[in-house]
Amino acid sequence: MASTFSLRAPLQRLFQTPASIRSILTPPSPFATTTPAPRLAAAPFSTSPAPSARNPQRGGKNRSKQPQTDPKIISMKKHLSLLSPRHIPPPLRMARNRHLRHWTVHRAWQLFRRGQREARDRELMRMHQGMYLACEELRQTEGPGTREEGYLYRVAMEKKGVYGHNGVPIEYARMQTETPAREAWNHGWKRTSAP
Amino acid sequence: MSRCQQVGRPILRSLQQGVSSRPCSAALFSTTTSRKEDVVADTSASASEPPPPPPPSSKPIDEEWRQRRLDPNTTTLRWAEKKLIKAGTPPIGSRRRRVAIRTSADIPFEQLPYQAFQEARKILQDDRQEKLDKIVAATARLRFIEQTDPKTLQGGEAMKARRIDSARKYLDELKIQADINDPQVKRRFEDGLGDMSKPIYRHLADRRWREMERKIIVQRINQFFIVPDLLPKFEPTADVKLFFRGEKVAPGEIMDSRITEVPPSLRVQVFDKGERLLSVAVVDADVPNTENDSFDRRCHFLAANIPWDPTKSSLPLSRVAAAGGDVAVPWLPPFSQKGSPYHRLAIFVFEHKDRVDPEHLKKLYGARDGFAVQSFRNATHSSPVGFNMFRSVWDEGTAALMERHNIPGAEIEFKREKYESLKPHRKARGWEAKRQGPKYKFLEKYVKRLA
Repeated sequence: MASTFSLRAPLQRLFQTPASIRSILTPPSPFATTTPAPRLAAAPFSTSPAPSARNPQRGGKNRSKQPQTDPKIISMKKHLSLLSPRHIPPPLRMARNRHLRHWTVHRAWQLFRRGQREARDRELMRMHQGMYLACEELRQTEGPGTREEGYLYRVAMEKKGVYGHNGVPIEYARMQTETPAREAWNHGWKRTSAP
Repeated sequence: MSRCQQVGRPILRSLQQGVSSRPCSAALFSTTTSRKEDVVADTSASASEPPPPPPPSSKPIDEEWRQRRLDPNTTTLRWAEKKLIKAGTPPIGSRRRRVAIRTSADIPFEQLPYQAFQEARKILQDDRQEKLDKIVAATARLRFIEQTDPKTLQGGEAMKARRIDSARKYLDELKIQADINDPQVKRRFEDGLGDMSKPIYRHLADRRWREMERKIIVQRINQFFIVPDLLPKFEPTADVKLFFRGEKVAPGEIMDSRITEVPPSLRVQVFDKGERLLSVAVVDADVPNTENDSFDRRCHFLAANIPWDPTKSSLPLSRVAAAGGDVAVPWLPPFSQKGSPYHRLAIFVFEHKDRVDPEHLKKLYGARDGFAVQSFRNATHSSPVGFNMFRSVWDEGTAALMERHNIPGAEIEFKREKYESLKPHRKARGWEAKRQGPKYKFLEKYVKRLA
């Protein structure tokens, strides 16, 4: 605030503005503190961002369709659009040999990826088979002690602790229904009594 | 030095660095154009230029130089370009490209020093080796199946045949897989130099045909109701292209009768391996039949026993005998009488294993009228593989054509039969009709005369 006044005071002295206008130029608003560096260009009267300002000609409705005129924002948008997932790169234009080399690299890359994918699938399948065989072995063993056949399998299949300590699967948290609830969420719910 | 040469030089220099034998190696590091280099390049370009009075001993060298300058791949000289254009072999590519080809070391495509490319080639070669090992194993397995006694198998002879069939199929698939990633194969196929006796090129050609041309043929079969008018069902598996007088004809095009007077030439490409016999039948599916108020079929051409394999493609119907086939019914130019709707001329290509007797075919179909494709198919035990078609309508040349070929009926014109209305006659009504009489003579100028 102080710096603003210190610079505006000589300016006012320079232009000799009347007291009535001076009161408008230096309003005692709290927003003045947000601009530490004094800007000699005309500061906007409103502090809300420009895009959310209402256009007096059009009204508030078709605000999103208004063309963006600020060249800075246009260029920023252009550069950000390169990063967007909907951005389609331009087609590759290549001469014959270059294209054949590109094609070769592309095919090799696809082959490599395919090899990786298949190796991973094989490994997962192997692990799954291992688990399956272990379970089968458990299902067919007797014991320990006087336990009947399959006891170990049943114990291994227990899902104790899988859903957290003393937890239940989230599916059991409410009654399973064919259709969604008429009232999706009771916003006005209050706990009736403290535990 | 021309502009294109100047522009192409930095690229060339990078290619030449390994094999360069330049007088000044310091020039390699300068990126700006120096006069000195121009001079060097010019002298090297004109190094083999002969001295003004050519001695008789150096005459062959002179010829060689001229010939080298007339290579469409490398020349950049104006006079040579003009000469080549005049000779009908215009220079290939841009002048910049030609300079690059002439001045760069001739590195084979596989050895081009690009790292990603070379790494990719390594991966592809490993894969190919894997496929080759599989091919060896599959061949051994096929041999083993062929040698097994069918009595030891559960399904007997049929089971053995099926196993052999599936082993062969797997082997063909592997052969395609081994070559499909080769850029040189791709290049040769794109240049149209592919050897159709090899499975990979057949596979690529089949894929290309199925991408568009087959779809168009299938569309014609459906939209012109070739199925079910001529055959109950039909899936084309061979590419048949139609040429009249050397011009390609799009399937289903309406052709001038004077153009179709001579038999067309076909380009038949089959995509499965092995020798087989082809038959070609051209059928008019829309011959008007006034007695029954319907349409008949007529055979315009029938040839059989044409030996064929995937490496052959051109089949001019006028030279079927030269290709080893038998013409059962010679070409009759398609014609359609005045007033009849367009005639569909369907060209069917059949495939069969055994020879058929052309005399028998002549006896069966020599009369041309009432030719049934199904009957031909059953009589020869053949299967339809290829199809193409065109259409014919009455035009200015048809009458003269029919006269030339002694075809009667040029004066016949088909018209729609007119039926009298069953409703009683009703007088004309309306403002005009009311004012036709003498009473409204004064309105004559404004009233249209009704007939």
